[in-house]
Amino acid sequence: MKPLASDRPFLCLLLIVIAVALLLAGSVFNSAGLSPYLANAIGQLAAFAVLAISLDLIWGYLGILSLGHGLFFGIGGYVVAMYLLKHSYEVTGRVPDFMQFMGWTELPFYWAGFGFFPYALLVAVVVTLLVSGVFGYVSFRSRVGGVYFAIITQALVYVAMLLMYRNDTGFGGNNGMTGFTVAFGWPVGSGGVVIIMAAVSVLVLGLTLLSCRFLMASRFGVMIVAAGDDEVRLRTLGYDTLRLKLAVWCLSAVIAAVAGMLYVPQVGIINPRLLAPELSLEIAVWVAIGGRGNLIGAVIGAVLVNAIKFWLSAAAPELWPFILSGLIVLIVLVFPNGLIDLAKMKLVRPMGVKRIAAETPELH
Amino acid sequence: MLARGYWSDMMRRTLGVAAILIAAWVPAALVAAEAPRADLVGKLCGDTGAMGEGGRTLTALAQDGSPDDRKWAAPLARAMIDRKLTCDAGGAVLITAEGSQDAVTRAPRTAGERDRQPFLSLKNRALFETAAATLQLRTATDLGQRAAALRALERQTSGLPDRLFEIAAEEESDAGLKAQILATAQAAALNSTEPAKRIRAVRHISTTPDRRALAQIRPMTTDPAYAANPEFRSAVDAAISTINRGILTGDVLAALYNGFSFASILFMAAIGLAVIFGLMGVINLAQGEMIMIGAYVTWLVQEGLRHLAPALLDWYLVIAIPIAFVVTAAIGIALEAILLRHLYKRPLMSLLATWAVSLFLINLVRVTFGTQNLNFVTPFYVTGGVPVIGDFIFTWNRMFAIAFAVVTLAITSGLMRLTPLGLNIRAVTQNRTMAACIGIPVRRIDMLAFGLGSGLAGLAGLALAPIYSVNPQMGQNFIIDSFMVVVLGGVGTIIGTVVAALGIGQINVLIEPLWGAVAAKVIVLLMIITFLQWRPEGLFAIKGRRK
Amino acid sequence: MAGVALLVDNITVEFGSFRAIDALSLAVDFGEVRAVIGPNGAGKTTLLDVVSGIAHPKHGRVIFDDTTDVTRSSESDIARAGIRRKFQKPSIFEGLNVHQHIAIGAQGGWRRSLLPGELATRVDEVLEAIGLRDLAQRSAAELGHGQKQWLEIGMVLASNPKVLMLDEPVAGLTDDETERTVALVRGLKRADRAIVIVEHDMDFVEKVADRVTVLHEGRTLFEGSMAHARADERVIDVYLGR
Repeated sequence: MKPLASDRPFLCLLLIVIAVALLLAGSVFNSAGLSPYLANAIGQLAAFAVLAISLDLIWGYLGILSLGHGLFFGIGGYVVAMYLLKHSYEVTGRVPDFMQFMGWTELPFYWAGFGFFPYALLVAVVVTLLVSGVFGYVSFRSRVGGVYFAIITQALVYVAMLLMYRNDTGFGGNNGMTGFTVAFGWPVGSGGVVIIMAAVSVLVLGLTLLSCRFLMASRFGVMIVAAGDDEVRLRTLGYDTLRLKLAVWCLSAVIAAVAGMLYVPQVGIINPRLLAPELSLEIAVWVAIGGRGNLIGAVIGAVLVNAIKFWLSAAAPELWPFILSGLIVLIVLVFPNGLIDLAKMKLVRPMGVKRIAAETPELH
Repeated sequence: MLARGYWSDMMRRTLGVAAILIAAWVPAALVAAEAPRADLVGKLCGDTGAMGEGGRTLTALAQDGSPDDRKWAAPLARAMIDRKLTCDAGGAVLITAEGSQDAVTRAPRTAGERDRQPFLSLKNRALFETAAATLQLRTATDLGQRAAALRALERQTSGLPDRLFEIAAEEESDAGLKAQILATAQAAALNSTEPAKRIRAVRHISTTPDRRALAQIRPMTTDPAYAANPEFRSAVDAAISTINRGILTGDVLAALYNGFSFASILFMAAIGLAVIFGLMGVINLAQGEMIMIGAYVTWLVQEGLRHLAPALLDWYLVIAIPIAFVVTAAIGIALEAILLRHLYKRPLMSLLATWAVSLFLINLVRVTFGTQNLNFVTPFYVTGGVPVIGDFIFTWNRMFAIAFAVVTLAITSGLMRLTPLGLNIRAVTQNRTMAACIGIPVRRIDMLAFGLGSGLAGLAGLALAPIYSVNPQMGQNFIIDSFMVVVLGGVGTIIGTVVAALGIGQINVLIEPLWGAVAAKVIVLLMIITFLQWRPEGLFAIKGRRK
Repeated sequence: MAGVALLVDNITVEFGSFRAIDALSLAVDFGEVRAVIGPNGAGKTTLLDVVSGIAHPKHGRVIFDDTTDVTRSSESDIARAGIRRKFQKPSIFEGLNVHQHIAIGAQGGWRRSLLPGELATRVDEVLEAIGLRDLAQRSAAELGHGQKQWLEIGMVLASNPKVLMLDEPVAGLTDDETERTVALVRGLKRADRAIVIVEHDMDFVEKVADRVTVLHEGRTLFEGSMAHARADERVIDVYLGR
């Protein structure tokens, strides 16, 4: 991997991210800055970008396609929703609406402590590690890989969605949980808070980018690339790849959960639709469109696709699925390495794939 | 001494007396016949007690009276309730559709002096309702009226003449109503005063063991006879256990049957997936949409027939078979030729590409046809079913799906084993490069196999149209399960797909009523993951070397 | 160190209904260079797969150094025990450079068995031996076919393996490159190392191998010196031709 100082594209992106964060921070105090609406959109895009990075880690570098990352995104989302609701409850004394409908007058025992954010964060990380750890261990140990693994992750997130759709789980059922009023002591709806949350999102994106970059430049990163290139070769050189895969898988899951914790407060609601299999598939689309295996592509893909989606859902909602499918087909056929190909203007002839520079290994 | 003339005189005299007697008898007989009738009418015009007797007599007539008597008596009961009977000095007058008639003779007559309308007490009213209903049951010419009478009687079976229902059933011409009368008779018999009759009724009910029978017999356990009469108790216990066994058997069979039909659909959806994946390593996420398109094509055929050849409407399911296959196969071939052949070495990219196609197809159909469920006519050969045991009905629509799947299986294995195409497909699946080297047109095989797989999915859509709801999203419900079938069954093998489909289908259907659909899916998923621990390549996969 | 490096004890390997190896027994000593030859499909690569732990026999065992039953161990355990293998198709890491390859090979496991200084020296030695020292920072994807072959060889010998298995090391190489490989392999011969080579190039085999095992349809057809193999009727029939 190129040393950071000479990796121009990466530095560019990092600078943009920092600039946006600063802009947002400034807008809190200066009403001439970005509007809360725009800031909110940026914040959501940043959360998606973090999610895309999490998938890029496991897919772009290690070659393991997960079509169920929405599950971890959802775990983070539900936990942060619990924090917000518990916090609101502690401040206002009112039990959330959906619980009132169920006839509950107070929060069940397992909500204890969620009013304290570090605890909520800990719970999110622990639950994510548990779920991803068990699933990852079981799958990697039996050498389930490739397409099979991808499909099983789809089934996993699908089942999670079905579970959360049930109205008796105490997590809002098909209506989800909403009605967040207070966060960290401040009212959630106010313009200033919205902008600050967006700024935090963008900041976390920057941090994630940087730390993942450092990870991939480290010795561990070298091993990740090796395992992604030819796992059997690495194993027959004495390296037990199970732990490596498990570690990256769990790390990826935790980052996805963090993305969920960024997303839900900004969008004001969490419901099981976040766990829809289609959404988890879309994450892979973002990464594929942007370009796998270099972190930048993931961010660009996520921002681009979701920006178009935002814009279209207001302007011409019927058009979105057609545009998305067209985009995917285009990318897959003409730019197999995503927009990075476009940047290097190396187009692909059908019936054969030209190998492109070694820093973006073609991983199947 | 008497002369010969004496005897002929005697004869003449005897004959004459006989003639007079006979001449006197007929009217007397008539009068005698009329006497009970007049008596009855007299009762109707009497006091409360007499009216009660009159009502009971009418009811008795419904069972025992001659057809003539019954016909005569029929309007009386109703008239008492509707206040169309007027009592006067000469007896009573009945107001009918033909006008005012004498109640006894039915000769036209208007009400005479001291006319009044008898007043029915509540108790008597009930009696007369019963009488009216029993008579209506026995005498009404219109089936609907008889059925209505039976319904009225069902609510109050006690106090009826013992053999009323049996006799009514015997003489009933309509088979359906006859069965209903017998059923009511049974229920009445259950509550009869004769223990032997009750035991017979209990035993009779247990011969058709279903939940309705159970509901009928259950209350017998709290009946006083249950505690008092040991024979009765043992009959009831035996009946309950027989019925429960029957219900259990029925439920088990129903579950198996449902599982079979679900497995059939799964199989048809998954076999295409398995062939394609084994052959090209492509997971076709658009497979669910092929099913959907197959169902929509079937609907279009139905609509086409409705407008162009309404007489053939019922046969739309059969006519649509080749059409659905060809249309979906063509779409599949187009998909392969335009999109997938460029991706054959990149399974994960083809996954995304087929998902894009799936998205496109769903929305195309949604925009064209709308999101509502489509309406399908249920043809006669797919309607109804054969009741087997307990509450299990062997429904024809599911049988259709099962039969379809069996035929599909037969044709597909036949194709794979016996035709050159099948041989080529198997060759390319096992060793693509080698097959190309010996001259097998690999690209063409890819195309044809993709067409085959898509066509099979289209047929799955046709087969499930009579069972499941059809809308643009329907494919999504099957795709995850189909994948599980392919993953479990091992890739590229028909037998693997069959076994896996059966397994997953049955498990889904068995668990669902116990713990819900979600739990069923969770359990199936967990089982598959656990199973893959032991055999990562699935049940029947073709093992190969590291290439 | 004399002794049997690899004892292949009556193994049978089946893929579905196809029997790739049929009751095969074989013994390779330390210090020996053994060539395994035979027609395609004879089971040569499968044999190597079994020894490296990639394939599992239905019956039989493979004992390494009189101590470890290889058939019960995982690939990484086997590799750490000292068995290394070069694959038929050049298997390298396209995303890494030459130096990193050798370093990975030298460490031979997650536990750092070499100190940084030792590692650097070792990598240097290996790079020298395979002739790629000048290309140390070059990305592996940019190497030519022959260079990739050597890179892989370098990777597998960087950890001083006790058993070195080379699957078609000279496939696709020019005559010059083949000669260089002959020299390389000869240089690798040591008393405490067993080398097993699968090859089709008979001249190469003749130059490097001590003994030759000829496989046919999963069974041993002949075992002995190359000269005798060349003269053996059955071998000629089945493989070498007239």
